[in-house]
Amino acid sequence: MAEIIILNASPRAPKSNSRLYADIFIKNCKEKTEYYNISKTNHKELCGKINGFTDILFVFPLYADGIPATLLGFLKNLEKNPPLKKPTVSVIVNCGFFEPEQNDTAVDMVKLFCIQNGFPFGSVLKIGGGEAILGTPFRSFAERKIRTLARRVSDGRHCVLKTTMPLPKRIFIKASDSYWIEYGRKNGATEEEMRTMSIEKF
Amino acid sequence: MKLILSDTPLNISSEISNGIKYIDLSELKIANCVGCFGCWTKTPGKCVIRDDAVKVYPLIAESDAVIYVSRIKYGGYDTVMKTMLERAIPIQMAFIRLLDGETHHVQRAVALKKAVIIAYGDTGEEEREVFRRLAERNAKNMSFKSWRIVFVNENETESAVMEAVKEWRK
Repeated sequence: MAEIIILNASPRAPKSNSRLYADIFIKNCKEKTEYYNISKTNHKELCGKINGFTDILFVFPLYADGIPATLLGFLKNLEKNPPLKKPTVSVIVNCGFFEPEQNDTAVDMVKLFCIQNGFPFGSVLKIGGGEAILGTPFRSFAERKIRTLARRVSDGRHCVLKTTMPLPKRIFIKASDSYWIEYGRKNGATEEEMRTMSIEKF
Repeated sequence: MKLILSDTPLNISSEISNGIKYIDLSELKIANCVGCFGCWTKTPGKCVIRDDAVKVYPLIAESDAVIYVSRIKYGGYDTVMKTMLERAIPIQMAFIRLLDGETHHVQRAVALKKAVIIAYGDTGEEEREVFRRLAERNAKNMSFKSWRIVFVNENETESAVMEAVKEWRK
């Protein structure tokens, strides 16, 4: 029987999309799961908790084309404080870009960690349009893949999955513009201000 | 302007001349990006965290030639450089464009760059291959018009940087 520890490596973990993806995984997983946010101060504690789990599921966003510094820091700690029996590592990674393949390098980094430290590597779900997809009519596309992932991680028949919004790229870009303009409006910034070419001079 | 951004102190003062700026990130105080999107949607072009990163990303934007010096970890930049690169997103917009058929962020006033990445540490071929793929992705999101990676052992880092600076002078 699988026992899965889910570690959210988003820098805004409690309010993140990664949290929402993890929640869908938990809802659809028949095995025992425990969920934790990775913070700056709990790496050692989490390394200790990993003992006894058969699987780790890292959930995180793509940051600057790779794994976020939060996850990098945690993996370095896990390398120094490994569990007695190394669980299988699976990932859900999401990016705001349309193409789920833009997450590939981040997946490769986690795989490399596993190779270098003797952790079995399991399943992958790469999500494109991940900043917004759960708030769109295409939510079910992500939910369906997460359900499959939960099944595959549970039974050990590992797989690589991907999903994105089923839109032509130009329509995706228009929808993305609307999403960000609304985001800015809530924060008191106009579209014109958001489109400024200026970068502060220090 | 030309920029040398390093995660380790370098003894290269003899190579620094007008028009070249050298920053040792290891002596700066730079917090992790918190993913608030403030630099895109609240104070566009300006990070809400007012630490040393705000001195660095305007220089990244302005430079048309960069040398990034970083230890490699799990096929990517190690923590010091990665933290800075994540904090450099105020130089992009939230908005998306098509570039070479792929979606990428629209850049603000960011100069196209010739980039040299001095990637140091004890790296095997597998790790180098992941890093090459990362640099290829970076090129699209960090405005590299050309890029070159120099893999070196840690003790060869300084001489590799000096070599790259000499090439700027050619």
